[in-house]
Amino acid sequence: MSTDVFLPQIARIEAVRDETPDTKTFALRFPAPQDSAAFRFHPGQFVELSVFGCGEAPFCIASSPTRPRTFETTIRRTGTLTDALHRLGPGEEVGIRGPFGNGFDVEAARGRDLLFVAGGIGLPPLRSLIWNVLDERESFQNVTILYGARTPVDLVYKDELKSWAATVGVDFHVTVDNATPGWTGSVGMVPVLFTKTTLRPETTLAYVCGPPIMIKFVVQDLFMRGFRDESVVSTLERMMQCGIGKCNHCAIGHRYVCRDGPVFNFKQIRELVE
Amino acid sequence: MAGVAPGESHPVARGRLCSRGWNAHEASFWGGRVLHPLVRQCGDVEKVSWVAALDHVEAKLRDLLRAGKPIGVLGSARATNEENYLAGRLARAALGTNHIDFCHHATFRPVLLGIEDVTGDSSLAIRLADIESSDAIVLIEGDLTSTHPRAASAVLQALTKGARLIVIGCARTQMARVASCFLEAAPGHEGDVLNGLLAAALALGSCVAHTSLERDLRETKPTDEMRAAAPWIAARRAVFLTGPTSGSAAQIRSNAAALASLAAITGHLGQPGSGLLPLLGRSNVRGACDMGIAPDRLPGYERIENADARRRLERVWRKAVPAAGGLDAEKMIESVSGLIVLADNPEAVLPFGERARAALERIQFLVALDAFTTPLGRFAHVVLPVASYAETAGTVTNIEGRIQKVRPAAAPPGEAREGWEVLAALCARFEGRVSWASAADVYREIGEAAPRYRTATSVGADEGWESRLPPQPEQVHGTPQAAAAAGLARAERPYVLARDGAFDWSDDPLIAASPTLNREYQSTRKLFPNGFVEMNRADADALGVRTGWQVKLTSVHGEAILPVQLRSGLRRGILLVPYGFRDKVCNVLYEDGATAVAVERT
Amino acid sequence: MQLPVLMIRKSDVGPWLATLIAKAEVIAPERGLCGEVTFSKIHSPEQVLWDFENPLWPPKQFVLPQTDPIVRIQRSGDGIEIAPIYDDRRRILFNVRPCDAKGIAFLTRMHEADPPDASYLRRAANLTVISLACNKPCPLGFCICSDSGPFLNGGQDIQLTDLGEKYLVEIGSEKGEAAVADAMHLFGAVSEDEKAQRKVLESEARQRFGEQTCHFGSAMRRISTRRVDDALWERMSDWCLGCGGCNFICPTCYCFSVKDRGGDGAWTRCRTWDSCQYAAFTLEASGHNPRAERRERMKRRFFHKVSAQYYVRDGMTGCVGCGRCIKVCLGATDMPAVVAAIRQRAWHEH
Repeated sequence: MSTDVFLPQIARIEAVRDETPDTKTFALRFPAPQDSAAFRFHPGQFVELSVFGCGEAPFCIASSPTRPRTFETTIRRTGTLTDALHRLGPGEEVGIRGPFGNGFDVEAARGRDLLFVAGGIGLPPLRSLIWNVLDERESFQNVTILYGARTPVDLVYKDELKSWAATVGVDFHVTVDNATPGWTGSVGMVPVLFTKTTLRPETTLAYVCGPPIMIKFVVQDLFMRGFRDESVVSTLERMMQCGIGKCNHCAIGHRYVCRDGPVFNFKQIRELVE
Repeated sequence: MAGVAPGESHPVARGRLCSRGWNAHEASFWGGRVLHPLVRQCGDVEKVSWVAALDHVEAKLRDLLRAGKPIGVLGSARATNEENYLAGRLARAALGTNHIDFCHHATFRPVLLGIEDVTGDSSLAIRLADIESSDAIVLIEGDLTSTHPRAASAVLQALTKGARLIVIGCARTQMARVASCFLEAAPGHEGDVLNGLLAAALALGSCVAHTSLERDLRETKPTDEMRAAAPWIAARRAVFLTGPTSGSAAQIRSNAAALASLAAITGHLGQPGSGLLPLLGRSNVRGACDMGIAPDRLPGYERIENADARRRLERVWRKAVPAAGGLDAEKMIESVSGLIVLADNPEAVLPFGERARAALERIQFLVALDAFTTPLGRFAHVVLPVASYAETAGTVTNIEGRIQKVRPAAAPPGEAREGWEVLAALCARFEGRVSWASAADVYREIGEAAPRYRTATSVGADEGWESRLPPQPEQVHGTPQAAAAAGLARAERPYVLARDGAFDWSDDPLIAASPTLNREYQSTRKLFPNGFVEMNRADADALGVRTGWQVKLTSVHGEAILPVQLRSGLRRGILLVPYGFRDKVCNVLYEDGATAVAVERT
Repeated sequence: MQLPVLMIRKSDVGPWLATLIAKAEVIAPERGLCGEVTFSKIHSPEQVLWDFENPLWPPKQFVLPQTDPIVRIQRSGDGIEIAPIYDDRRRILFNVRPCDAKGIAFLTRMHEADPPDASYLRRAANLTVISLACNKPCPLGFCICSDSGPFLNGGQDIQLTDLGEKYLVEIGSEKGEAAVADAMHLFGAVSEDEKAQRKVLESEARQRFGEQTCHFGSAMRRISTRRVDDALWERMSDWCLGCGGCNFICPTCYCFSVKDRGGDGAWTRCRTWDSCQYAAFTLEASGHNPRAERRERMKRRFFHKVSAQYYVRDGMTGCVGCGRCIKVCLGATDMPAVVAAIRQRAWHEH
């Protein structure tokens, strides 16, 4: 992290991959070795990414520190800045501040069964932890990944999903809300996948990420099945500007999503006061 | 330019500003600015010197004059009085035409005419301080807290002191929620409520008899609420506020006249502390009117038929002033061969919206003077960079009629010059031997052309802030009249569709170029690029639609399909389309501001 | 450790100021445009106003300008150059009120908190605050309710007390010591009577706060435990016009946005004042807005200012009782009015 909290470091785009018609994954690297060495992040943290001439916005890191050569972020095109970003290609430079946020508590997950439930563009923040877990597989017990999107074309990391499905030691299931010709998998919203796997509420840490309405239904389902609220973890999103708990845009009560989050368990979420 | 500080001794602000005021520095500082004169020929844009640009403009205009082709000039409600005055002079004295108007005029003119119909004086206006010390406030509104926060502030101050507020409108806005009495009226039907109040006021017996009015209102039955509100209105100090209501220009005029009549019969015209306040929707609508930026009005907003006014102007200009009225903004854009536009974006402001674009693109020679890059600049043949509101000297006139001096806070960027200087240079090219040394010089001449602007008037002068209030008129005799009937055919079309918020700020550079202010308006534009129609939840449930679902609107004129947005507080049976999306319903509304529609789910 | 307490005759203050003007930008209340009081840079001691009503525009602008350039970004050749923009000018705020001195101390604490904000702290490190205690309350102030006046007892660089012919000079920091160092011959020792007089003046001033107090206690309890009815917030928010003025003039408000300005390969990243009362303050790129309703935004403001959670985090209430929000509010929702409404569980009815 730089000595000045507002100063971006230069990062170069190594590769760009199309995930869906409006989503791309950018693999980034710091050309300056001291920046690269200083950039130590945890799964679940985020960066403030500058597109020079456009501005800056927060994006979660979608890769793991266990694979440190580059770090990745998966970004949907929603406005001026992401539009400009999508027009950049390998070799071009962006600014990075961070890493910010609390990240997932990887240590607390060791020895536990892990359940990942993601919807649509909610998979990227969870992938940072999934990669970490898969890279240190022996530390963790059962690993279940459930993922859904609106249609097959909206699934991100399509090739990787296939490799998860084929990995021994990972119980992977995918569904889409609406099938298109050629889709042979499950159809229905993410909770339909609960019937396809064994859920172990007493031993499992559940990580849920996706659109607010999806989180709401999934989490309700999990609580009905006996998950405790400290065992269900999500990431909160808020408009951010500084990423360091000073501008107050992301404050919920006296908690700041950029500092006390973005990762929260549901016990903490219930305690958020405004 | 780093920020804005409120003037604590300023007679209007008194240390308080609205959100636009607190961020007024941003547009000038952050916005896309025009920095150099630009000339567009055969699709290529070239940066040229000022002399070359003005030479080009003069040559092209002379060509058109020689060929007998019509030329028009559009002034602006966001320009200074000096800029507008010289735009008027350019049109009338230099180019010999009465095709002069400003885009916001179409929206506010009917209100001013309605007031004029009853009182003979369209310039009547109370002070904002009068609102604060009033006993009763009658407000016909769109959403005062967002259109005129300063006036809304005055209303709230009055309420804390015990004043009564009567709000007439179709939605339960913030003002309606704090009101003592909210009289719901469908768009275009405000006249019915006004007639009810007129009848209730007459029935009090304390009003001067007006036989023709009483005859017209014989069939009108005021509701209980109106009867309860009438004695409040007859209080010692009462103020009457209105912006343009929905409906056709004729309806808006008639409603304004009815409101003025209400003020008249309850004895509130010509009384200190009471009276009318037309809510004009940009910084200098009043000033533009006073500078005669209208095809049928001269400086002082005098009618062009007024021979004395014409002669006075001819003496000042030493030039004949054409006697036949010219074209208004919309007709002008559609008919002229040459057009000079000062600081405005016609397609964003004029009621006929996108049609302006096609018409503007057909104009043979289009000159745009602006500080900010607007869509107009993208196809104008000449773009002349002028200083922004924060970089120019001059005067502006607020809704109170208060003439205020503005001083530059910074130098204009690039090669931009103060607008009055550019217009003066253009006048000189056609009139020869005319020059003004400063904005103050122009103001002096304005005082000769429009006596109200003569600085000799020291009533209400505020030395430090250099503002002048016009003296309050002493005797105002009103000729009261009832509002015209609404007459919207309702049977098969049970809903009323209206345009909302003629005060649409989102395209104004003050907002669009300010990062802090612009984001407030961006979300709806981004999420609903094709517009939307606002509907009451109960109506949506009855139609079986939810937020974001499409509905088809059908009127006598045509149909349109739009997504729905729920708006709490909106009266049942009323659909509102934001002014910025008026083009999406132009087939349905046509030239009406409000029309009966059938609605079905698609 | 006993902090130095000195005395200076009023007639010697001019020469003292001259030594300050010689080594730093001295910012003091003076009469400016249109005869209004503003805090501005002075060139001579005569410009300082001693008898003035605290102006709306607060001295926080000298540590946190409304538009604050913080990073310069420039394309050069094939690459990008990025450099921080620091303001190292030495400034002395002279003759501010205790509420404003406390406000700046509060802002410094916020920006020191991990991670420290170097841009702000450099400005703050070069700023010395010399305040004059208030022997009588100002018309709208309620500093007594948030322990921010009329006299401060600790934490200031220098606090002056008006003893009549002289000022008592309480030095509270190294910066305070440095501010008198060049003019030591003008300062003298303080007698025990004079020290006692200062205590009496403080006590008398405290007793003169009549009705303009603002009892935070029960409001704090209710806000912190979410026991304020939404209906009350709803009613109150109908009296707010969302101008953001309260945030801009508040000595302890510091919400900001970060935006890039410029083009053609050169940009300045600026921190700009922002207001939690603006609807789009929390508007996300997806279009979701957790505080779309005005009452939610009002709730947010008063939680930040008055809650126990923030009190514990910050060591003080986020309000110095300067009374500016009463003057600047375009509506009717200033701090005392809202706190009173929460205490009484009622907004004024009409």
